[in-house]
Amino acid sequence: MNSGYYPKIIGFLCNWCSYAGADMAGTSRMSYEPNIRIIRVPCSGRVDPILLLKCFQQGADGVLVSGCHPGDCHYNEGNYHARRKFALLRDFLDYLGIGKERLRVEWCSASEGQRFVDKVSSFTKEMAELGPRSES
Amino acid sequence: MNLYISRDDLMRWLAQLLRERILLAPVRVEGLILFQPVSKVEEVALDFANTTLSPKEWFLPPTETLFSMQRNDGQPQLVPSMVEKDVVIFGLRSCDAKGIALMDSPFLREPADTLYQERRTRTSLIGLSCRQAQPECFCTSVGSAPNDSSHVDILLTEIEDGYIVQVITDKGKALLPQALVESEEALPPPPELQAVPTKAVTQAVREFFNNPYWGRLADRCLHCKICAYVCPTCYCFDVRDYFNKGNLERVRSWDSCQSAGFTRIAGGYDPRATKGARLRQRFSHKLLYFPEEFHDIACVGCGRCVKSCPVNIDIREVMSDLEQLEAKSGS
Amino acid sequence: MDSELIQQIRNQARDLLESGTVKGVIGYERASDGLTARPAFAYEPAAVERLIFDETCTHNLVIYLRDKKAEKMAIVVKPCDSRAINLLLNEKQIKRETLFIIGVTCPGVVETSWNYKGQTLQARCQTCQLSKPLVYDFLVEREPVEWPKAVPYLNVQEMENKSIAARRGFWLEQFERCIRCYACRQVCPGCYCPECFVEQLDPLWVGIRIAPKENELWQIMRAFHLAGRCIGCDECERVCPVAIPLSLLNQKLEKKVKELFDFQAGLSPEEQPPLATFKKEEKLGFEE
Repeated sequence: MNSGYYPKIIGFLCNWCSYAGADMAGTSRMSYEPNIRIIRVPCSGRVDPILLLKCFQQGADGVLVSGCHPGDCHYNEGNYHARRKFALLRDFLDYLGIGKERLRVEWCSASEGQRFVDKVSSFTKEMAELGPRSES
Repeated sequence: MNLYISRDDLMRWLAQLLRERILLAPVRVEGLILFQPVSKVEEVALDFANTTLSPKEWFLPPTETLFSMQRNDGQPQLVPSMVEKDVVIFGLRSCDAKGIALMDSPFLREPADTLYQERRTRTSLIGLSCRQAQPECFCTSVGSAPNDSSHVDILLTEIEDGYIVQVITDKGKALLPQALVESEEALPPPPELQAVPTKAVTQAVREFFNNPYWGRLADRCLHCKICAYVCPTCYCFDVRDYFNKGNLERVRSWDSCQSAGFTRIAGGYDPRATKGARLRQRFSHKLLYFPEEFHDIACVGCGRCVKSCPVNIDIREVMSDLEQLEAKSGS
Repeated sequence: MDSELIQQIRNQARDLLESGTVKGVIGYERASDGLTARPAFAYEPAAVERLIFDETCTHNLVIYLRDKKAEKMAIVVKPCDSRAINLLLNEKQIKRETLFIIGVTCPGVVETSWNYKGQTLQARCQTCQLSKPLVYDFLVEREPVEWPKAVPYLNVQEMENKSIAARRGFWLEQFERCIRCYACRQVCPGCYCPECFVEQLDPLWVGIRIAPKENELWQIMRAFHLAGRCIGCDECERVCPVAIPLSLLNQKLEKKVKELFDFQAGLSPEEQPPLATFKKEEKLGFEE
C-alpha cells in the first residue's frame, strides 16, 4: 500500500460458504490484508442494496459480497437472485457516480481458503490504487 | 414624498448586507425559484412571481436538531442548538410575510419554541410588493393584499428603474443604506385579484364535518405531502431521538397530516385511517381549528398548493363548494 | 377536444352505471384552471357529463384501483396505463374481474402543470411503442394515431457518457433538493407496499431527517425497488415539486434490465419479472 491511504472494505460473506472459506484461511494461517471488515449473513441473497449504500455513505471505500458458487447455494436459489440484483446494482452505482469497481461480487466455497485470500488481496490492492471517493 | 432607491443602488445595498449577514433571496435553481443564501448579489432573481417553497423553511427548517446530549466524563451534558448568524430575507411577498406572522401564533406563545424565536428575532424581512397577480393568487380574500406592509420590516415597490422604499419598523430602519433619495413618484395601485368566498367557511367546516363531500374530494388525493410542504402556514412535524455511541440527538423534521399513518398510535388504532378524514383535517385545521384558537384563517392566498397539487385539489374550489353546501342547507 | 371520442366514453360510463355493472367510473375531468385535466370519479349516471379526454390527460389512474379492490370499477386507460394494469395483475394486486377497462388509443399527452399546457408531447410519449392499450373491455374508436417515435434512452446515454465525477456531482445536487414529500411514491402504480421501507422504524433504514444522505438512500432505493417493474409513465417526474429528473434514474434501470434480461414490465399480465426469477446459467458480468 502506498502513501498511507488505507481503504476501508466491508465484506458481506454468506455463512455457509464464503464465511467458512474465510475461516479456513484463518485456521490455515494464510495472511491477507487486514482492511476488510467482515459481516456474516445467512446468504448472499440476503444482502439488500440499501446495506451497500449505507456502507458507502458511512465511509466504506469498497464493498465485497461473497456467496456460494451458483448451483451450490445452501438455500438453493439465494445466490441466483443475488447475481441478478448485483448485476443491476453495479451498473446503477456506476451511473450514480459511485464507481462500479467499488462493489465486488465473488463466489467462494467453504474449502476455498486460498481463493478467498486471493480475492480479498486483489480487491484491496485495487481499492488502494483507485483511491478514496472524491466526496467522502 | 416617498423614499426611493435605484436598481443599481439596491444591488449595492444587498451586497453590503451580504457582508454582514446571511442574505436569503429568490434564486433560480433548475427552472425553479427558491429562497437560498446567496454569496453574490448577481444570484438574486428580481423578476419572478413567487418561490416554489415558502420562506417558512428558514424559520422551521425541514430538519433540525433540537438539542443533543453528550457524555462528558460519563456525565450526560445537554448541548442546546444555536442559531449562528443574523439573517435578512429579501424579496418576500406580502402573502408569505403574513404566513410567517401566522406561524408566530403557535410557535411564540408561552412557552415559546426557542429555536424559532431566535431565528425570528435575528431575521429581518425586506418585502417586495406584487405589481402583478398570478392566476392562483387570492390573498385579498384571506386578509392580506399584494402591497400589504403589515408583516415586514421594509417594503419595496417596483417602479421604473428602481423601487419605492417604505420603512415599517425600527428593525427595518437599522438596515437602511445611505443611498436612499426622495421621490415624487406615488405608490402604484396594487393589482386586482379574483375574490374567493371565505366569510362562511369556518362555520361551514364545522357544520359539514360529517358530510360525504370530504370522502368524494379525497378520492383523487394522493396523500403525498406536497400541499403541507409548500404551504407558508403548515407546521406539522415529527420528532425522533437518534443514538450514536452514547450520544443522543433529538431531531425534528417536517411531516404532513395528509400521509397515511400520520395519526396511527401505539396499538395500531388510527382515528384518521380514511382518505376523507385526512383530507378533511387539512381544511378543518386551516379554516376552523386555527381560527378558533388564533382568530385568523391559516391560509394566506399564495396559491402554492393550487399550483403544486398533482391532482388539482384547489382550496378555492373547496371554499366555494362549502359556501354552496351552506346555501343549499338554507342557513 | 374530440367530442366524438368523449361521447363514447360518457355513453359507456353511463351504461355501466345505470345497469349497476360498476360502482363507479374513474376517468378525467377539466381542472380548476379550465385548461388541464384531473382525475374524476363518477358514481351516478348524471356525473358522467364531467368526463373528458384530451392531450392534457396525463394522470395514470390505475393507482386508484388499489383503494377500490372490493368493488367493480370502470377505468379509462391510455396504452401506458394499461401496462400498469398488467403489472398489478401480474403482482396479484388487483383482480381482472373487478375491472371494466375503457381503453383509449392515445396520440400522446403534452407537458402540463396547473394553468399551463405545453405544445410538445411529453418525452415518454415520444418514445412510446404502444398504439393501443394492451388490455381493455371496450376500445374507444377513433382515427388511427401517429406520433413521433424518438429513439429511447438518449438522455440516459448522455448521462452515461459524462465522467464519473460529473455524474456524482449531478446526482448529489439533485438529491439535495428532495423534500421527501413522497409524491413520486404516491403517484406510482408500482409503489403499493402497506409499509414503505422509508417509513419503517425498526429497523430504521432511513429515518425522518430530510437531508442529503437520507434523500440519497430514498431516491436510489425507490428506483431500485422499481427495477424491472417501472412501466415508464414518468408521472413521478411530473409531480415532483422540486424538479428532480426521476425518469433519468428509472430509465437507466429499464435500459439495463432490457439489455440483461430482454424484459420490459407490464407487457403481459403473466410474465416473469427478472428480479423475481432467475436462470441457473447466465453471464451477467461477474467472473465465475
